[in-house]
Amino acid sequence: MYVLIVYDVEEKRVAKVNKFLKTYLNWVQNSVFEGELTEAQLNRIVLWFKGHLDLECDSVLIYTASSEKWLSKRVIGVEKNSTDNIL
Amino acid sequence: MKRSVYINTNGRLSRKDNTLYLESETYGKKPIPVNNTQEIFLFGEIDLNTRLINFLGQNNITLHVFNYYGYYSGSFYPREHLPSGFLLVKQVEKYKDEYERLKIAKEIINGATHNILKNVKYYSNRKEGLDEYVERIENERKNVKDAKTISELMGVEGRIRNIYYSAFEIIIDGKFEFKNRTMNPPDNPINALISFGNSMMYSTVLTEIYNTQLNPTISYLHEPGERRFSLSLDISEIFKPIIVDRIIFSLVNQKMIREEHFDQELGMCYLNEKGRVIFQREFDEKLATIIKHPKLNRSVSYRRLVRLECYKLIKHILDEEEYEALKMWW
Repeated sequence: MYVLIVYDVEEKRVAKVNKFLKTYLNWVQNSVFEGELTEAQLNRIVLWFKGHLDLECDSVLIYTASSEKWLSKRVIGVEKNSTDNIL
Repeated sequence: MKRSVYINTNGRLSRKDNTLYLESETYGKKPIPVNNTQEIFLFGEIDLNTRLINFLGQNNITLHVFNYYGYYSGSFYPREHLPSGFLLVKQVEKYKDEYERLKIAKEIINGATHNILKNVKYYSNRKEGLDEYVERIENERKNVKDAKTISELMGVEGRIRNIYYSAFEIIIDGKFEFKNRTMNPPDNPINALISFGNSMMYSTVLTEIYNTQLNPTISYLHEPGERRFSLSLDISEIFKPIIVDRIIFSLVNQKMIREEHFDQELGMCYLNEKGRVIFQREFDEKLATIIKHPKLNRSVSYRRLVRLECYKLIKHILDEEEYEALKMWW
């Protein structure tokens, strides 16, 4: 499935979350990641969040679409990081 | 599904923050998600260190290296993560028994030539003058089952391939001149495309073999040589017409690949960087194309078909189910 993760966490955890998500998804902007994941991979990510975040004040949003085809995306201004795999 | 990463720029690939980083002039520092990477193709001049190699090993990522001309140089094949001594012994047994070996080799050729024929037939519906080639291939194909030795079988395969290649000029409407297949080095654009595509196919198959218990050095059609993974040559035969040749036809016919995408010098011809990127994009998309598998009754990608081919071969080797090569049904 195609996943978009957006997070807003306390400053001292920002770098930690960023580092972790970078191993699974493409980093498109500050606090925004997207990419193709399997169900199991997403579960692993959710579990990690539950263990490493302060669920009282941190917030993470996970958007999923069954495939990249069902997600339309427009970029206005600069595309900071493309998700291309041909570099 | 895990992705393949194709790197065409020059720069440095390293391990950082427990993931992969590509540092280059064009991209700056770009993180690549390790957990979502299955294989990496290196076409540019890339620096890397053992820290990265260890990391790739841990994550079972295969790394394929291509030289300046886009020629396959070799792969970093991480420590076998699914070794099976039992299967290896069986695999060798099937090779040692000449009758059994010939049986597998014939089935591979049977599948490969069926797919070749399917390609020519597909175009004979829309282009004039291909019927004659269809007939010639069909006639030659009858000799496959009568072949007594591997070399005889290779001869049949070679003749079919010659007929097939001579049909290329009609299929591509003579947009490029193509007389016969030359390698080492390719001398014209079509040969360059075939060589490049085949080596991409070869390494993709290798990655899929890596993810099964098969040993890539023991093959049936090709002689298991030294310093090469000949089983992936065997399996590639089946997929070359389906993937590589189809890409070439559509790229040339839709004028996506043109004269300017090749570097030509002194009887040598290679795809340049722009051309390579176009081909890779097409290749990547092709492998991700999903079709309905009638037997499994679910949708699978072309890449998955390669893996399934390995599984079928394993089943045959373990005497569980007779191997039947993939024959294009679509």
